[in-house]
Amino acid sequence: MKIVRAAAITLVTLVLVAGIAIPMTASPKGWLEFPTIRGLEQNARNIFFHVPIAWTTLVAFLVSMFYAVRYLQTKRAEYDIRSVASASLGFMFCFLATVTGALWARFNWGSFWNWDPRETSIFILLLIYGAYFTLRSALESEETRARLSAVYAVVAGLTAPFFLFLMPRLMGGLHPGSKDDAGGNGPVLDFKMSPNMLTLFFIGLIAFNLLFVWMLDIRVRVGMLEDYRTRHKD
Amino acid sequence: MIDFFRANQLYIVLAIVLLIWAGIVAYLIALDRKVRKLEQSLRKD
Repeated sequence: MKIVRAAAITLVTLVLVAGIAIPMTASPKGWLEFPTIRGLEQNARNIFFHVPIAWTTLVAFLVSMFYAVRYLQTKRAEYDIRSVASASLGFMFCFLATVTGALWARFNWGSFWNWDPRETSIFILLLIYGAYFTLRSALESEETRARLSAVYAVVAGLTAPFFLFLMPRLMGGLHPGSKDDAGGNGPVLDFKMSPNMLTLFFIGLIAFNLLFVWMLDIRVRVGMLEDYRTRHKD
Repeated sequence: MIDFFRANQLYIVLAIVLLIWAGIVAYLIALDRKVRKLEQSLRKD
């Protein structure tokens, strides 16, 4: 985990610095200049932060589903702790993707919220996982809570790829990659990433996922200690 | 305010990065509270 922590800190720092500091010019020369994307200009830099956050959301929800399945197979409390820890981080990333997207939308699409398919689907996902935590807090018996929420996490995890990947691509919308956005030439912008932007984007994906793994590890360790505490209270 | 952001788009990027940072900090504070509660319950024994 030490390597993951070091890599997460280094790569997130790299993406933050490079994503903001590398200048944008109309005719870039070499790797240390980004091309200007018409319609986005400086806002194109948000791609390095907003999109990896949204991807990490999906990874976190799938990890939560994986541990939920493991719980149902083994009935070991450890997997329930891992599953809820991952879901809570996924919810945080999901919320951040929504808020950063809304702010970006204000300046590129004119208003904070447009009910674009991707905005709608991420909102539904927030509701689904909001219900997951409500369900957990409503159940007192540990065993029932773990079992029911594991089943719920599996069903919720199955819907996540559909809401984050499939639905926004099947319908027309404002996001790049929508149905009427053949070849990335969307209704609002001419969107193509240059090789250096693409590289930084993928580093961003890895960086935020490593950050998730590190945060999950801390959250799980705290969960395990809490569990130990409740079992050995007397 | 809106006009300022429109004219200086890099500040929108800054705001977005700060939002992400705020979210992570909020999560860490919540985690910190959990650990403190654990510490307190351990100290009681």
